Amino acid sequence: MTILKALIIDDEDLARLVVRQHLEAHPDVAVAAECANGFEALKAVAQHQPDLIFLDIQMPKLDGFEVLELLESEGKRPAVIFVTAYDQHALRAFEAHAVDYLLKPFSRERFDAALAKARLLVAAQPAVPPPPAAELAAAARQGRPLERVVVKDGPKVTVIHLDRLDWVQAQDDYVLLRTEGKNILKQQTLASLEAQLDPARFIRIHRSYLLNLDRLVRVEQDTKEHRDAVLRDGTRLPVSRAGYQRLRELWEDA
Amino acid sequence: MHPFLASRGRLGTYLLGWVPIALLLAGIARSQGWSWLEAVSLALPLCLLAAILFLGTWFLCRALPLGRTAEGLGTQGAVWSTAALLMGGLWAGLAWLLARLLAWVPGLGGLPQRVHVALPVLTGLGILLYLASVALSYLMLAQARALEAERKGAELQLLAQESELKALRAQLNPHFLFNSLNSLSALTAVDPARAREMCVLLSEFLRRSLGLGERRLVALREELDLARAYLAIEQIRFGARLRLDLSLDPATEGALLPTLLLQPLVENAIKHGIAALAEGGTLRLATELVEGHVILRVENPTDPDAPAPQGLGLGLRQVRQRLLGRFGSRARFEAATQDGVHRVTLVFPLETEP
Repeated sequence: MTILKALIIDDEDLARLVVRQHLEAHPDVAVAAECANGFEALKAVAQHQPDLIFLDIQMPKLDGFEVLELLESEGKRPAVIFVTAYDQHALRAFEAHAVDYLLKPFSRERFDAALAKARLLVAAQPAVPPPPAAELAAAARQGRPLERVVVKDGPKVTVIHLDRLDWVQAQDDYVLLRTEGKNILKQQTLASLEAQLDPARFIRIHRSYLLNLDRLVRVEQDTKEHRDAVLRDGTRLPVSRAGYQRLRELWEDA
Repeated sequence: MHPFLASRGRLGTYLLGWVPIALLLAGIARSQGWSWLEAVSLALPLCLLAAILFLGTWFLCRALPLGRTAEGLGTQGAVWSTAALLMGGLWAGLAWLLARLLAWVPGLGGLPQRVHVALPVLTGLGILLYLASVALSYLMLAQARALEAERKGAELQLLAQESELKALRAQLNPHFLFNSLNSLSALTAVDPARAREMCVLLSEFLRRSLGLGERRLVALREELDLARAYLAIEQIRFGARLRLDLSLDPATEGALLPTLLLQPLVENAIKHGIAALAEGGTLRLATELVEGHVILRVENPTDPDAPAPQGLGLGLRQVRQRLLGRFGSRARFEAATQDGVHRVTLVFPLETEP
């Protein structure tokens, strides 16, 4: 019998306890650690390399989707059973992506069924890879734009709230995020980040630049063909012809 | 009731409207060689008769709303043509009768003869005037219907607002309920006594909030009891993460305020404050009485990494709206985050149950 290594990630003690109680009937699953927030979860995953995680969605610091996204970015993706109390949008997203989940409070039968599915998943690589966490999170947000971006660099996790994000520059497979005077790299394409942001707030002013509209002071025309966006802190970013067109459309709508 | 008969002013306007028609009639008669006396003596009473007679068209118009189908219009055309012919004839007949009566008056002896000659013209005029009164009646009916629709719309909107408020008051936070039930599910195995306590607390909370949902105003005491039941449950859920600091002035307990005003504040403090902090924090709830005003404060620590909220959330907006809706400029609402503490302050006059 292979022993499955599991983590229980939930900010409420009693909620973790329920999962642990249900697991007592399954000696082939060993709980490696319990985590009360997203940061602890990332550390515990790195330390224990679990096969399976029970993951709550609403948690302090990092939510369940963000934890999964960061794990993915490091190439770790244990089998996941989401455990959540009430979030119709998230449920619809789980159903749509055939992701396993438990609704609090849940029955023993429901728990056992979810665990049985997860065991199969761990035993054999599934034919269809699990959906990327970002895609799942976007589906759960139901079209509402992203509010913050999470980045992991080694052991360090940075949470960037979008009102602190000045602009984003494309760098091959990475994006450079400019926030509070610092540059932070994240493995993501500019297009995929742009798709998750509020289009009225972040404008693609150039093939390689997304700008927080709030930072823009004015657009200057240097030569006939070349324009610069001047930001509050004096930074100048290039504005392409298409980007200028987008800005003008926004201004005309306003 | 006919709209013209419903108000003296409107009846006056209607009758005044007939004066130019009477003058026109007299003018036509003059042009036919009638004397001024003959023309005016006949035209004025004749128009008064028409004014009274044609009031009836409004009732007929109401009974025969303008049809939308060609067929309906055809039927109505037939009805109105017949009615117009009859009324035109009747009016001319009345003119003839009137002339006979007026012939007794000295100087008007020639009137019957003159009217007799003018009978076809009078009939034609009668028909035209009758059709005009039909058009006017339909116009008035349409306007009345438009006004009625507008009034109904406004009424419906008011009703919708009212029911929205009702739904808001009866709203139980499902996230809270299911999470509590989940905690209960854990406790049943490890601590049955605590599980029972939680059942009682949940029942008390539910009973209180369902009872409050039916009332518009409650004493602060009842709002505080509900908040206590709610916080006792949350303390079981969050354990040591939720610490409470209650400082309540007994003098404020009788103060009346709109129902379920405190609950959203306390729920917000948990959801956006304590629950979002890994280490939790202290929720402060304080009331005091200052110069006849109740000051109610709810404070919670916030995540320093989270950006300050932009404007008020829906819950807080509704609290403010309902507080100011009740007390107007005598109340004050403040919400601000400062030094990592989110604080909502309500100030309102102390009004107790008589």
